[in-house]
Amino acid sequence: MNYALFLGCKIPSKVPAYEVSTRAVLGRLGVVLHDLPFDCCGYPVRSLDRDASVVAAARNMALAARAGLDVLTPCKCCFGNLRHAQRLLDEDANLRERVAAALKAEGLDLPTSVRVEHLLPVLARGVGLEAVEAAVVAPRAGLRVAAHYGCHALRPSAVTRFDNPMAPTLFENLVRATGAQAVEWPRRLECCGEPLHEANPTLSDRIAQGKVADAREAGAQVLVTACPYCHMRFLSIQAGRPDALPMMLYPQLLGLAMGMTPRSLGLDA
Amino acid sequence: MADTVFHEGFFRIALWVSLALGGLGLLWRLVTWLTVRIGSDAREVSFGQRLWAAIGGGVGALFSRRLPGMMGAFFLDVLFQRRLFATSKLRWAGHLMILVGFTVLLVMHALAAWLSGKLFDNYYATLNPFLLLRNVFGAMAVIGVVLLALGRRRDWAFGRPARRPADGIFAALLAVVLVSGFLLEAQKIASPKAFYRMTDEFGLGTDAEELAGLRWVWKQDYGVAFTDLHGEPDADVLAEGRELNSQACVDCHARPQSAFVSYPMARAMAPVTATLDAANADRALLWLHVLACLLGIVVLPFTRFFHAVADPVSLVARGAAASGPLSLAGRVSRRALAADACIRCGLCDARCSVAPIARWLDNPELLPSRKVQATRRVAGRAWTRVGDGDADRLAQGAHLCTDCGRCTLRCPVGLDLADLWDAGRDDLAARGLPAPATWIQEQPAIAWAEALGTELGRVPPAGPLSADRRTFSACVQCQTCTNVCPVVAHGGTDADRVDLTPQKVMNLLRLGMVDLALGSRMVWDCATCYQCQENCPEGIRVTDVMLELRGAAWRQLGPVRDRRRPE
Repeated sequence: MNYALFLGCKIPSKVPAYEVSTRAVLGRLGVVLHDLPFDCCGYPVRSLDRDASVVAAARNMALAARAGLDVLTPCKCCFGNLRHAQRLLDEDANLRERVAAALKAEGLDLPTSVRVEHLLPVLARGVGLEAVEAAVVAPRAGLRVAAHYGCHALRPSAVTRFDNPMAPTLFENLVRATGAQAVEWPRRLECCGEPLHEANPTLSDRIAQGKVADAREAGAQVLVTACPYCHMRFLSIQAGRPDALPMMLYPQLLGLAMGMTPRSLGLDA
Repeated sequence: MADTVFHEGFFRIALWVSLALGGLGLLWRLVTWLTVRIGSDAREVSFGQRLWAAIGGGVGALFSRRLPGMMGAFFLDVLFQRRLFATSKLRWAGHLMILVGFTVLLVMHALAAWLSGKLFDNYYATLNPFLLLRNVFGAMAVIGVVLLALGRRRDWAFGRPARRPADGIFAALLAVVLVSGFLLEAQKIASPKAFYRMTDEFGLGTDAEELAGLRWVWKQDYGVAFTDLHGEPDADVLAEGRELNSQACVDCHARPQSAFVSYPMARAMAPVTATLDAANADRALLWLHVLACLLGIVVLPFTRFFHAVADPVSLVARGAAASGPLSLAGRVSRRALAADACIRCGLCDARCSVAPIARWLDNPELLPSRKVQATRRVAGRAWTRVGDGDADRLAQGAHLCTDCGRCTLRCPVGLDLADLWDAGRDDLAARGLPAPATWIQEQPAIAWAEALGTELGRVPPAGPLSADRRTFSACVQCQTCTNVCPVVAHGGTDADRVDLTPQKVMNLLRLGMVDLALGSRMVWDCATCYQCQENCPEGIRVTDVMLELRGAAWRQLGPVRDRRRPE
């Protein structure tokens, strides 16, 4: 399996451990990652200028298409926006024309057949749950994990096609594959509050605190995410709190179960 | 002691005046590092605290655990320029050639009377190796300039990187100094007038007939462009000339062929040498060369060349910061220094994450090299001269940054740009230009509708989704969207409660009252979690519509904003 790794803006600068652990785990599972000169996925300008966001997304996918690769991103917002851009390009001929012209100026073609995938479905469906389970040599038996889905991968399901939007199982299945136990928690599909942080920090914090409290009440010992935005949000609202619920990125949990050292997964910081 | 133009009255005075003016300019610029305030936290520290942090902290750091970091920064970052080496080998090579070429010329040639003349027993500018080396280092500087220009052009993201008016002055002065230097040398090589001046000075007279032998030697071996010597010289006359040359000239004059740039130039200029001589060109070129250098000293603090002072300081400060956070006063001063240390090389622009977006929006103010200048303008007095349209473009640049940090990683002088962007957004917010979510939420939806000043509803549709009536026509006002909305659920207190629920926003659009929907808090408080859209039994794209409204609000409400103008 070959993918162009799309890290987006937040992972390299704010959550570098996510990149380290993703590369470590996928490398062991036979997924070959290629690095292309990608730029912003377009998500941050989606609100203000839809077209600019689509151009940014299309340009990245065009780079992947030129390299003959599909895209794998560990970020759910990048994933959601790239897929969203694909949909808009599909349904709006006028937009498609203008974007194609902008790409052509750079010698790029409108990408038509690039697949955009998030890390979790690649693991669960591409590599396969059996293969993931087979790679586990140090099962996290007894560890109670709350899996946080993240909105922009799960919804709108018509665009993202990530999993059943009302009753997803993908993340819990991946958690169980590591030997850990996936706790049931009512707010598992709720927002982390990050996209609201700039406009309304109080409300954003309240939403995030509510989620963490819910996970804790459900008996979780660790909150696992698969998106840099969600991860940063939960880390920052718990900063300095003695009762903070420990955080982990999914490939870190999986890597530990695969017998990798915490250091090699960016966990020793 | 070697001869120098600076022994002459006018040049001597000009040198001192230039040094004094340059020194004052330098002092002025150094003081701004302690007075310019960028970021809201900058108002918490006084000039005195910053001065103390700079002097006390700087000296103290020399005797602390920061020393190794600072030493490493000085040797690896300042002298070897490893950051530039890692980013662009082409520019690194160009920059190093200018640095070495210029520094050696400055020390060994411009300051010859004080250094080379004292260091070497037999220093004459017209003897080798000095003659050769002057050309080597001059050529090195010229090639360096060309390499840098090539690298700079290659790395342009789109349009030019930021520029200041004085950048052109610096480039012009550099060119004048280099070109006039070579031209001067070339003219002196070829000039019969210079030849006679020397023979006269050394008691050989200026009689063309008497000096025939020596002139033949200098025409043949030294490239002097005597126009009256034709054919082949008489063997006896030539032998006589050689004898005289070996007695009077060779001790101070190597053959000029080793001036591998100037000599070919002298040959090429031979047809016009006489004309130039008649116009005293060597004297004029000397004046031009020296005055350009002196003018360079005067304007140095206000041109790009100031980076020769600012960058080493910036890099060493960075080395100090690497071994533990600086004090607030130190950080604030480092920020002020950043705008001076940025030479607008544009390396950051070339890998800016939002460069494709900047290109699409046709707003280069999104690019980091521009933002450094904008941040400085916003913080300083220049802000009052920024027009509304410009201010909006600067704000767009600041707020569309994704904080990916690539510019900071790439900056060859190690500026903490991420910190600068944070501080810059603070300053913009303080001057009435916060992120759109903030300024739009400053007044209620009805006030925005009034500001738009149109009959209720009479504004253009927000975008393709809201323009299409089918988007909402199926809405049965079942309130499912509102019921599943986490923002509605969590917005308990008055301060942050939503004004319109998602279902109400959809209803306004259904009724064609776009203007009321535009200024709604809900539009900006939306978490974009897509619960509403996913759960809508009629398949209405509620979240997508919210996003479309944001873009429209940003475009349409901006022009009707009641601006708090900068102080």
